[in-house]
Amino acid sequence: MEDKLLIWKLRRGSREALRRMYDKYHADLLKIAVVMTGGMNTAEDIVQEVFRKFAGRADRLSLSGSLRNYLITSTVNTVRNFRRKQRRHKTQNLDETDHLPCEQRRPDQWAIMSEQLERLSAAMTSLPYEQREVITLRMEADMTLRKIPELQGTSVSTAQARYRYGIERLRSLLNGEL
Amino acid sequence: MKSADDIRQYFRKSTLSTNIEKHEEIFEKIICAQKQSGKTEPVSYRPNIGKIIMKNPIIKIAVAAVVIIACLTGVFMFEKTSGVALADVLNRIEQVSVYMYRMSMSVSGQVINDKPIDQEMNVTILMSHDYDAKMVSEMSSPLEEGKITQEMYMLPKKKAMIMIMPGQKKYMQMDLDDKMIEQTQQQNNDPRLMVQKILECKYEKLGVSTIEGVEVEGFRTIDPNYMAGMMGQVDIKIWVDVETQLPVRSEMSMQMGEIQMHAVMHDFQWDVTVDAAEFEPVIPEDYTALTDKPIKMPAFDEKTAIRGLELFVELTGSYPEELDLMNIISKTSEAMGGKLAGEQMQQENRDINEQEMTKELTEKIMPITGLAAFYMQLVQNKNDPAYYGEFVTPEDADKVLMRWKVSENEYRVIFGDLKAETVSADVLAELENLPQ
Repeated sequence: MEDKLLIWKLRRGSREALRRMYDKYHADLLKIAVVMTGGMNTAEDIVQEVFRKFAGRADRLSLSGSLRNYLITSTVNTVRNFRRKQRRHKTQNLDETDHLPCEQRRPDQWAIMSEQLERLSAAMTSLPYEQREVITLRMEADMTLRKIPELQGTSVSTAQARYRYGIERLRSLLNGEL
Repeated sequence: MKSADDIRQYFRKSTLSTNIEKHEEIFEKIICAQKQSGKTEPVSYRPNIGKIIMKNPIIKIAVAAVVIIACLTGVFMFEKTSGVALADVLNRIEQVSVYMYRMSMSVSGQVINDKPIDQEMNVTILMSHDYDAKMVSEMSSPLEEGKITQEMYMLPKKKAMIMIMPGQKKYMQMDLDDKMIEQTQQQNNDPRLMVQKILECKYEKLGVSTIEGVEVEGFRTIDPNYMAGMMGQVDIKIWVDVETQLPVRSEMSMQMGEIQMHAVMHDFQWDVTVDAAEFEPVIPEDYTALTDKPIKMPAFDEKTAIRGLELFVELTGSYPEELDLMNIISKTSEAMGGKLAGEQMQQENRDINEQEMTKELTEKIMPITGLAAFYMQLVQNKNDPAYYGEFVTPEDADKVLMRWKVSENEYRVIFGDLKAETVSADVLAELENLPQ
């Protein structure tokens, strides 16, 4: 209920409403961006971009589900666009830069990963991107394996297989810690 | 499969902390960036489209193959669109003996060797009730002078498809077997089949509006089932003349990975009077065949699928990750382009026999596109197909690469080593170990 009220206020230009949403969800989104990109700096940029866009389109926002899941989906899409842009600009592949930001902490970095998150994010970056996406959406957004294919533009069986192979690989990578 | 609860727990325990002191600063940045972007003109997403397409003969053949397969599977035919008055619309179309329409299509995105494409195509389509079809297409590209014109004739009675390329003074014949003809006829002309498919899609009404003075009712579907889930994200709109119940305009947008396609079908003419000779291809004497013998279009079946998979591995070293038509064509063209460049065939060996080269290319491309078409057919026929090329390699002899239902309790399975076997549903479940 609070989210609906916040959106209502945001549509009327309430800066406080946006701030409240930001405080409420930024850590969740940051964690998702970290496990999908492996880099804190990139993840921070992505989350900022998600909120910037969200604020920009608040007046025409029509939410049928939860705000949290909407923001998670936006985060996943922003990561995807970011990767696409990286490839297009022929710079380093995002997968290759994934491990760097952890070592090269930016002076203005505002979040710190727990050791466990660092291990999880490192393990996730060794999975193919599509598997990362399915696992993140399943684990963090509780999205079903029937809903995820709609987002990925693929079939249910492919999403199921991505999930299954991804989980198996993660289990072997995190062996001993589970 | 073991429960994924342990992984879920691990996700929950993995946390991060943020510097509260910096929150205000970051939040200000967001507000500032948002205001900044609000001042500037919004930039709609458009891929960094370069200007290279259709200079490479491989791409031309690949595009031709897409058009052919698309024609066979009815991709470009508007009939499979949604609508509440659809049964009436289809009944009306069935009464029309010959009709004509135009299609303007653009394809953009990243396709060949990371080189972006930007392709425009204008097609005039003439369809007759007894299944003959003629498509005249003009393709253009911003960097290429002039236009490439192609005439394509679908001639079921002659069990052939003929493509004429006046610019190159070339033609190509493709032979179709009975099964293929039957499929084509079913796909394009059987209204019962079409209604059944359309009714399976979720659609919405767009209301009544006017197009060029005609009162029309619009319908829209974004249901991926429209293309059997094989063409990525789809957005289909159709406007039907309220009075005649016949289509006036239709739009189709598809996003397949990095490739965007947008097609508008318009200028419909119903019950046009045409001479039967319109459907007869006329090949001038000075035109030469692209291949020494007619190309045989492979049947969309298991044998073709296996051959397609085998060829794809030969070309790329792995199985296609997914079996959607555009991506599979794109990857094949990319691999073949690289292969040819490696052999320095494009520039130096001008004496190379063009017929042999075209034959080799089409012999490879056809089974691969046939593989995609076979899978699409399985999806459309609800044979419960699944494909795992993203995870299975040619070394995985015991892993399921592809499967589909053949009877109530039996599945046909193609394994990683391309051996095929029929197994019971229970055995398949064990082989796949699907997550619950």
